[in-house]
Amino acid sequence: MLQMIVFGIICGLLLGFVLQRGRFCVVGAYRDLILAKDGRMFLATFVVIAIQSIGVYALNDTGVIQFGNDGFPWLGTIVGGFIFGIGMVLAGGCATGTWYRAGEGMIGSWVALFGYMLGAAMTKYGVWKVAGDNLLSYRTNDTYIHKTLNVSPWVLVIIVTLLVGILVIRELRKPKLPIFKMKPKKTGLAHILFEKRWHPFVTALLVGIIAIVSWPLSAMTGRMFGLGITAPSANILTFLITGDNALIDWGTFLVLGIFLGAFIAAKGSGEFRWRLPDMKTLRNNAIGGVTMGFGASVAGDAQSEMVW
Amino acid sequence: MAKVLETTGMVCPFPLVEAKEAIVDMAKGEELIINFDCTQATESIPRWAATEGHEITEFEQIDDAKWRIIVKKGK
Repeated sequence: MLQMIVFGIICGLLLGFVLQRGRFCVVGAYRDLILAKDGRMFLATFVVIAIQSIGVYALNDTGVIQFGNDGFPWLGTIVGGFIFGIGMVLAGGCATGTWYRAGEGMIGSWVALFGYMLGAAMTKYGVWKVAGDNLLSYRTNDTYIHKTLNVSPWVLVIIVTLLVGILVIRELRKPKLPIFKMKPKKTGLAHILFEKRWHPFVTALLVGIIAIVSWPLSAMTGRMFGLGITAPSANILTFLITGDNALIDWGTFLVLGIFLGAFIAAKGSGEFRWRLPDMKTLRNNAIGGVTMGFGASVAGDAQSEMVW
Repeated sequence: MAKVLETTGMVCPFPLVEAKEAIVDMAKGEELIINFDCTQATESIPRWAATEGHEITEFEQIDDAKWRIIVKKGK
């Protein structure tokens, strides 16, 4: 129990801190790519995927962790992923993003977070369970693409890593824009941790490492999974209502840690303040949260791990 | 004569979207003062200005999660 609390919280704290300081946001990544033709954040999400796949497959090969072997719920992933995407835009952030923005004092994210917990809990345990289970019942025989192709997983991991690596190098070689920086008010470590702008690739590297470490830390407590956000979010709400202790696991402390880590990061850098958006945004946040909760639950945590 | 754009309370990406709109019918060399409180805009506004060739004459954090940036229209 103690191990579960300590490791879960630590992993979450680090992740929340890094996400807040790195301004990491998947919605923002797509937006920058399309509206501003700036693909750095988008590429950064792929850096996370590449790093994580190397680490996690290595852990799987060495037997530290074991992957599940259920068929891939293709219909749920496609439908859920699409619905999740719509919800994510309305909610103003993905699942993890909503948790960390709540820690920055964004009231809209609190509203979205509640909607997200509710939507996920309804799909996992409540009135939407029928629809969710139905979508999830369509599964392929293989869980992993490499099995379908009949190659070692490392072939795919290496292809993805090389592709991402080439794009990263190309991006870093571009001439630097003379971007105006605020005068630093802090020095040394405080400047780096609580003031400096982090390069998206540095943030991505850190997120990838935390994602890898989360697997063995979570496995130690009997939960064979990495950074899943949806199930713990649904479980917190359900636990509060039913009082069922079985719903509390490593993931619960992970998400609470993300919230706390983001709060510490925001507070330390003078970026915490309660902020209330206008009515229209609040309404969208509420609708988006519930929608995202349903989408994430039927897409399975594997999907949300990819897109958060 | 500087134009003031109040975007406090707006979530991202709206401070940037509003700024883009506001600067369109301004003359070259005119200044746009943008007040905002969405953290991500601390990244996106300076980056946009650099890409579009606008000059930033001032950028300051005025309070907890409150910033003011002055963009001078470049072209």
